[in-house]
Amino acid sequence: MKRIYIVATLLFWLGVTAIWAGSHWMPATQEVAALSPTKAYSLQAVAAHNRADNCWMAINGQVYDLSAYIPQHPSAPEVIVAWCGKEATTAYMTKNRGRPHSPYATELLQRYRIGVLDMR
Amino acid sequence: MRILLTFPRFYLALVMALAGLPALLQMPAVPLTLSGMGVLTGWLGCGALAASLMLMVREPAIASCFGGLDRMYRWHHLFGVAGYVLLLSHPLFLAGQALPAHPQSAWQIISPGSPTWSGMLGWGALLGLMLGLGATFATRLRYSVWRPLHALLSVGVLLGIAHVLLLGGLTAAAWVVMLPIVLALTWRMLRVDRGQGARPYEVSSASCLSDEIVEVSLRPLAQPLAAVPGQFVMAAFFEGPHYRGCGEYHPYTISGAIPDGGLRLNIKALGDCTRTMQSLEAGVAARIQGPFGEFFASRNASPEVWIAGGIGVTPFLAQLRLGEVTRPTEFIYVYRTAQDACYLDEMERYAATHPLLHFQPLVSQNDLVPLYAMLAKVTDLPARQAYLCGPRLFVAAVSAWLKQHGMREQSIHFENFEFRS
Repeated sequence: MKRIYIVATLLFWLGVTAIWAGSHWMPATQEVAALSPTKAYSLQAVAAHNRADNCWMAINGQVYDLSAYIPQHPSAPEVIVAWCGKEATTAYMTKNRGRPHSPYATELLQRYRIGVLDMR
Repeated sequence: MRILLTFPRFYLALVMALAGLPALLQMPAVPLTLSGMGVLTGWLGCGALAASLMLMVREPAIASCFGGLDRMYRWHHLFGVAGYVLLLSHPLFLAGQALPAHPQSAWQIISPGSPTWSGMLGWGALLGLMLGLGATFATRLRYSVWRPLHALLSVGVLLGIAHVLLLGGLTAAAWVVMLPIVLALTWRMLRVDRGQGARPYEVSSASCLSDEIVEVSLRPLAQPLAAVPGQFVMAAFFEGPHYRGCGEYHPYTISGAIPDGGLRLNIKALGDCTRTMQSLEAGVAARIQGPFGEFFASRNASPEVWIAGGIGVTPFLAQLRLGEVTRPTEFIYVYRTAQDACYLDEMERYAATHPLLHFQPLVSQNDLVPLYAMLAKVTDLPARQAYLCGPRLFVAAVSAWLKQHGMREQSIHFENFEFRS
C-alpha cells in the first residue's frame, strides 16, 4: 500500500509538472481568436451552426464558436449541444440549479469568441 | 438471505456496490473522452473514499460482518488507497483533454493557483488526502503528531465534498457520496473518538511482568462487555490517585477474565502513552470498547499448533486460563531474550497439568531458524490447525514457512500485534 501511495503521488506531481511545462512550451494548435472579435452576426446566422461539430452560441450579446470545445465540456454532449445555434445566455447563467458558470469558465469562453450579436 | 448475511463477502459486495454507485449514476451523462474519464475517476474516487470511511466505523457488530476488525481495516485501507489514486488521476484526465490543442487551458484547469472556489477546494482536498495518507504510512512518527496529521484525511474528504457540491449541486450521486461520509465521520467522532460507545471500568490492580509489560485487572462500573479471553478491546485510561492517563484509545488483548465481568489486559510499552501505562495503579478510570477479534472463533477438532511471538502470547495464555485444551496442541512461545519472557512459570504449570499440551519456550535472538527446526519436528504438521500471534513480520515469515511445508492457507489463523499490546 505504501508503495502504491508513493508511486501514485510521484506520478501525480510528474503529471502536474508536465502540464505546467506544456503550457509554457507547447504551441496552441487552434487560434480561434484570430477571427475578428468585432464582426456582427445575426441570430439567424448563428442558427445555421447548430451541430456538435459546428456549434455557435450567442451568450450575453457575444457570439462564440464552441465546435472545438464541445468534446472538452465535462457534462454529457447533449447538454451543451442542445444550445448550439441558439441564444444561450440563460442556459449559461443558470447551470446547476440557477447558478452561473464559474469565472474560470467565463475566461475560457473568451477564447472562443468570434464576434458580437447583431441585435437589429 | 439469512445465510448470505453470515458471509463477509456479501457485506463486502454491498460496500463495493456503494463505491461504484456514484459513478454508475453519472455514467449516462459522461462523454467518452479524456475529460469524461476525469469525471468518472472523480466519482469513483469519491465512492471509494465513502466506502473506506464506512469501514472505519469501529463497532463490534460491524467488524464481525467483515470477518473481524483486522480484515475490515484491511479493506478500509484498500478502498482508501484506491480512492486516493483515482482522485489523483481525476484532474490529470480533465487537463489531459485540453493539453494537445490548448496547453494553456490545460494548465488553467489543473493549476493550484486557480482563482475559482471549486479549484481551490479541489486542491485543498487533494493536499489533505496526500498529507493525511502520507502520515498513515509514517508509523514512526510520535502518536501525538501522527494523529492530527492522519486527521487531515477527514479535512481532505470534507473539502472534497464541498468541491463536488459546488460543481454539480445536490445530485443523486452527490447524496450517495455525502451521506455515508457524513454518517461515518459523525459516528466515528462521537462513538469511537469521544468514547460514547465505550463502557466505564476501573483498574482494580496492576502488576509489572517485565520492564515493558504490565498486566492490568479491570472491574466494570456498569454492564460489562460480553468479551471472551483471547479477543481484544479498545481501552483508554484516564485519571487515578497518582496517575494521569493520556486518554487515547488503543487495542489490547484480553489475557483473562475475572469474576463479575472483570477483564485482565496485557499492555506493552510501544509508545509514549503505553509507556506511561506501565505505572497504572488501582483506582484509575478506564473506558473499554469491544470486544473484537475472531482469532479462535472457527476451531474444529483437529490437532493444533500455537506459535506466539513476544507479547503475542496473550491470546494463548487466555485460552489456557480458561482451562480448555481438548485436542493435541503443540505450543511454541518465541521471545527475543530471556528478559522479554512473561508467564513462563504459569505456562509450564498448565503444560504439566494438561496431557494434550506440549509447551516449548524458545529464545530467538531475532533468528527464526530454530523455530523452523522445532516446527519441522511437529507430528503431522500439515494436518494441524495453526494459530499464530505476534508482530506482523514474524507472522508473515512463519505463515510463509508453514505454507511451504504443506499447510493449507485456510488452516493458518493469525492476528498481528502492530498497534496492539
